[in-house]
Amino acid sequence: MTRLAPIVILVLLVIVFANAAFVVNEWEQVIITQFGQPVRDPIVTPGLKFKIPFIQKLHRFDRRFLEWEGAVAELPTKDKVFILVDGYARWRISDPLLFFQRLRNEMGAQSRLDDILDGETRNAIAKHELLQVTRSTNRVPEVDEAMPELKGHLEEISEGREDIRQQVLEAGQARTSDLGIEVLDVQFKRINYGEQVLQDVYQRMTSERRRIAERFRSEGQGEKAGILGDMDRELKRIQSEAYREAEGIRGRADAEATDIYAKAYNQSAEARGFYEFLKTMETFEATVDPETLLLLSTDGDFYRYLKGSGP
Amino acid sequence: MPKLPKLPAGGIRIVVIAIIVLIVMSSSIYTIEPEEVGVLVRLGRFSGINDPGLHFKLPLGIDKVFKVAVQRQLKKEFGFRTLEPGVRSQFTTAGLQDESNMLTGDLNAVVVEWVVQYRVVDPYKYLFRVREVEETFRDLSEAVMRKVVGDRTVNEVLTVGRQEIEDLVSQELQVLCDQYETGIRVEQVVLQDVNPPDPVKPSFNEVNQSEQERERMINEAQSEYNKIIPRAEGEARQTIQQAEGYALNRVNRAQGDASRFESMYTEYRKAPEVTRTRIYLETMSKILPQAGRKVILDEELEGVLPLMNLDGTTIQKGGGQ
Repeated sequence: MTRLAPIVILVLLVIVFANAAFVVNEWEQVIITQFGQPVRDPIVTPGLKFKIPFIQKLHRFDRRFLEWEGAVAELPTKDKVFILVDGYARWRISDPLLFFQRLRNEMGAQSRLDDILDGETRNAIAKHELLQVTRSTNRVPEVDEAMPELKGHLEEISEGREDIRQQVLEAGQARTSDLGIEVLDVQFKRINYGEQVLQDVYQRMTSERRRIAERFRSEGQGEKAGILGDMDRELKRIQSEAYREAEGIRGRADAEATDIYAKAYNQSAEARGFYEFLKTMETFEATVDPETLLLLSTDGDFYRYLKGSGP
Repeated sequence: MPKLPKLPAGGIRIVVIAIIVLIVMSSSIYTIEPEEVGVLVRLGRFSGINDPGLHFKLPLGIDKVFKVAVQRQLKKEFGFRTLEPGVRSQFTTAGLQDESNMLTGDLNAVVVEWVVQYRVVDPYKYLFRVREVEETFRDLSEAVMRKVVGDRTVNEVLTVGRQEIEDLVSQELQVLCDQYETGIRVEQVVLQDVNPPDPVKPSFNEVNQSEQERERMINEAQSEYNKIIPRAEGEARQTIQQAEGYALNRVNRAQGDASRFESMYTEYRKAPEVTRTRIYLETMSKILPQAGRKVILDEELEGVLPLMNLDGTTIQKGGGQ
């Protein structure tokens, strides 16, 4: 008996110690309750800690940023477009005591966040148009130098995605402040058209593209016609200018030649006579060929010499 | 101290002790690989970061080590998954449409696939500040990408705006990662396939085709233009040169003629009668041999003319010429 006593005491000490000591991990915070009532300040620093064994109970909570995933819901916007909104939030247990009192555990918190954030998201979406939910700023779209026709258009918005997000966040923060939790951020992870709307959107996109395609085709034809027209005009211009210049050159040359001839042939009455004679002779010479039948009268000048020189 | 039950032999006792020591030892030695660091936690409390190499820790769960690959570049894929990485990697997009479908600022739908490359730079934050840090990072990437795409036209997203989107998403994602204390550094955001949704793809292709068609028509017209106009210009030059040639010829000849006339006229004036007669006779002497037939009419003869056929052919009937 006396030999066993120390062993029993040792075992009991170990059991008591094991119940009194506990490790708080880096990512944890702990509150301690005694008969269901929280006692002491929450433990928010990690390390080895002690409590009164058996009487006090340990409740561990996460100290990290926690996730909240919204349910994917098809919500109508102010302009009655049904969109699928998939939101998420990050939150943390900022006051573990309050959290423990109000929500008990994380499951309770998730379900309360569902109510609050899903509801606020629904409200915010319903109060805004789709364009506002999609866009954030009034930026000017960049233009593709190669295809300026495809510039597209961003309509002016007064409020944008960031504002709506901020509204949901603020409303969520206000409604969770007395729950011992802090909502850090709400984001719209996905916003897409509902299946019904999608078909309409596809049709609109298709017709928009067709319109652009038709415009390109028509532009091509127009450009072509324009270039061919230019070509015709240019062709006529070149040809007529050449004609004008060529005829001008010829005319000036003719005039100069006429002048030269006139100066030579018209210097005196005698010169004129001589020219006529010479030209007649030349013409005569050029006219006669082997086919020519020449009728020569003895009365003509030529035979006059013949006759006149006879005996 | 109570006495332990007696062991059968000293040798076995040594073996048992050795085994216990080995078990304790093996749980207190660990290796950190070159691309990793070890985050050491003693009794729940962060107590330091170990560089690569061999390290010891206290056994029995007093010390815990979390290994984080801080040197390795990590990657998250959105809208697709690599099935088999390799020279020719295989991808799937099946069931990931929700991830890649998004709305553009002009309310068009577009399918965007992208990759985010990142590294863990603060293992403490990465491990202890955010639960489900990887999932959070995915959510952040999706939200930021949609925000940025939602502020752009479909054409920007498909063509010119890609680089800008990558840069902007990278910046904004980093801001959120810091705000969330994820300990992650975004290295690069890379847009992969960015496409219009399948049902509207044909019409997008049609735009490209019609754009090509437009270029083709313009090119055709240009080539027609280039075929015709330079030739016409050449021909115009030819016409003008011909006219120049004509002009030169005309003037030179006129000058030649005039100069010849002048010379002859000068001589003629010295003896007009003789010269005239000489030229006349010379001409006749040239002409006469050339003419095929000659008929010399004495002025006293009559009745020859009726016999002549003036069209130049010989009269066969009536005998003789």
